[in-house]
Amino acid sequence: MAAPLFLLAPPRSYTSLVNAMLGQHPQAFGLPELCLFNVTTLVDLWKGSQGDVAENGSMVRHGLLRALAEIYCGEQSSSTINMALRWASAREDWPTARVFQEIVAQIDPLVAVEKSPSYTMSVGRMRAMFEAFPDARFVHLVRHPVAQSKSVMAINDGAFTIKVNAFEIGEDYALMEPQIAWHDINLNILDFLDEVPANQQLRMRGEDIMAEPERHLGQIARWAGLRDDDEAIKAMMHPERSPFACFGPINALFGNDPNFLAGPTFRPHKPKIPSFSAKVPWRDDGKGLYPEVIALAKEFGYV
Amino acid sequence: MSDSSSFDRPVRKRLSPVPENPLTQRLDASLLSPHQAALRSAVVDAFNAKKARRFLERHVKHISTNRDLADGIKFLFDEHGRPPANAPLEDIVDERRRVEYQIKWFEGTLLELRNRLVRVKEVEDYALEMLSRALPDE
Repeated sequence: MAAPLFLLAPPRSYTSLVNAMLGQHPQAFGLPELCLFNVTTLVDLWKGSQGDVAENGSMVRHGLLRALAEIYCGEQSSSTINMALRWASAREDWPTARVFQEIVAQIDPLVAVEKSPSYTMSVGRMRAMFEAFPDARFVHLVRHPVAQSKSVMAINDGAFTIKVNAFEIGEDYALMEPQIAWHDINLNILDFLDEVPANQQLRMRGEDIMAEPERHLGQIARWAGLRDDDEAIKAMMHPERSPFACFGPINALFGNDPNFLAGPTFRPHKPKIPSFSAKVPWRDDGKGLYPEVIALAKEFGYV
Repeated sequence: MSDSSSFDRPVRKRLSPVPENPLTQRLDASLLSPHQAALRSAVVDAFNAKKARRFLERHVKHISTNRDLADGIKFLFDEHGRPPANAPLEDIVDERRRVEYQIKWFEGTLLELRNRLVRVKEVEDYALEMLSRALPDE
């Protein structure tokens, strides 16, 4: 069974695009966000968890249902999604690791490529991935803290910062601070990757992939033991050809970032790298990046 | 978040003031001090209020459906009612996508309504059948 390739990154770090691009490699299969390692058994994806960080809501299941419909029935329609629901119902007591292994076995010999940014919210979730797939490869995808934080704040008024408790709390004030989420989630990833052999992990800057996709996707392919010929590289330039790069049927519409689903085409571009010393645009008090955030960004190669 | 593995690893300090719950390995706002919890709660309340206001504003805008429709297709016509010769391809593609998504939603809603109608008719037939059976005895 081919070991899967997981992308680890905070949300809004080009994960949807890169996942779909790698998934278009002729020897790979790009999955939607399965969110399986967020919970222990399959039924928990339906039951949800407790507290204000709960993984509730049907959207968390859309990726899994679309993947099951596509893999087992060859198409995504209301009927095949209903089939996927029955598939899941019959296996509701399965550990989610076993469900993932079953999916990987179905698409073998293709290499499963998956990213669910919610995995990176806890080291425990990433450990569960590694326990299920000791041979898995992990790409740590990074994006500049200012660009990523700006993007987080532009989606749903920055609701993500509340979900991950990224608050700056002073003596008499509190505010939503996305750079805390960028910093702490990347630290979660680094803590996890300390436990992973060096040859099974790779760090890549999203901006580099956007600017020189052929070169960097080829590099990832070689590292993952996949072909890096022209045909493979060309295939990866078309994420929009993925069966998951569009909205799904009415009973499983999502499974990925809606912005990506609405416009999955890749256009090479060179993202502007913001300055570390500038004021951050999401704060009104004129403050900039925290020193800890700048230090970590420098560790990732940003200058 | 560290485990008890024997090898040395750097201790990486998080920036979030919210403590981690050792059981779930996730940040748990219920572990904040009362003062911090109150400040956090005020931010969350303000966020929810803003979200509710935006939701209402969006819906009030959609009340004027005719104007919305006219605005949506305005770029396809010039002052003579013809498509402009240099209409940007991106706008046309976006518009095509938007219409396709709206049709998809509409078809989905239609499908759901048809399913519901079938079920309601079944219940209605069953109820009428029960009634007709019950009538001779009355």
